[in-house]
Amino acid sequence: MLRYEILFLTVPEITGDEIESIKSYFLKSIRAAQGDMLSFERWGKYRLAYPVNKNDYGVYFLARFEVALENRDALLKDVRGAYIFKFNTLIMKNMIHRLDSEASLEYKRPESLEDSPSDVDSFLKKNEMEGLLKPKGGFRAKKTEDKSIVGGVAFEAEAAIIATKATVEDDIENSND
Amino acid sequence: MTKKIKLKISARLLKKKLRKDSTGGSKHCRFCNNPELVTEIDYKNASFLRKFLTERGKILPARISGNACKYQKMVAREIKNARIMALLPFCATSY
Repeated sequence: MLRYEILFLTVPEITGDEIESIKSYFLKSIRAAQGDMLSFERWGKYRLAYPVNKNDYGVYFLARFEVALENRDALLKDVRGAYIFKFNTLIMKNMIHRLDSEASLEYKRPESLEDSPSDVDSFLKKNEMEGLLKPKGGFRAKKTEDKSIVGGVAFEAEAAIIATKATVEDDIENSND
Repeated sequence: MTKKIKLKISARLLKKKLRKDSTGGSKHCRFCNNPELVTEIDYKNASFLRKFLTERGKILPARISGNACKYQKMVAREIKNARIMALLPFCATSY
């Protein structure tokens, strides 16, 4: 059995259903060629080294499969054709690469935007360095005093009490007369 | 009586020798005798391949990186593959 891998780059706004459709088509064509699917991984969102189809970002997927020598050419032709004609709006680039059948399947990939923390605050919280967190408005800003909220239920209750007092006073004045 | 014969060295060769010595002797290849590092040469491992690029995104010559010919060819091929997949830049404009 020959081992292959396909790395493909899709548009950044790809949805879960579209991924499933690509995966199911891929599985179907591999099964038709009597091959095995080894893995189908989503790397995550990446900032591209140069804009591709006017996109600065993209999502990478890596699929690995095994196929016998007799069915190889037909399968690769099928997969290439699908990427060019069927999913041409989704898939921007793809690369098919032959793997050594005896080598291990481990590999290293660059860190994606989803792996790395988006802002400094979340990184500090994650690594238990909360003392370094910057207070809101900077270190020199004055502390804001807690203000009680006027309005809502409390405000209406106060207004009702005042209103009842006024009516009581009016009654007393009337009775005196 | 035997005459002592002095070997003449041309000025050009002397300068060349001086230049070699000034750079700290001969470089060594980091991949030779290190099979674990050779397995890291892969087009997917873009962060590792970035070590062999200049600030502008050009491939570093073996003269500077010190790679042996065999490994320099492997590195160059994988960098070119990574460039096609937009993992590495063809030409870095901002640095």
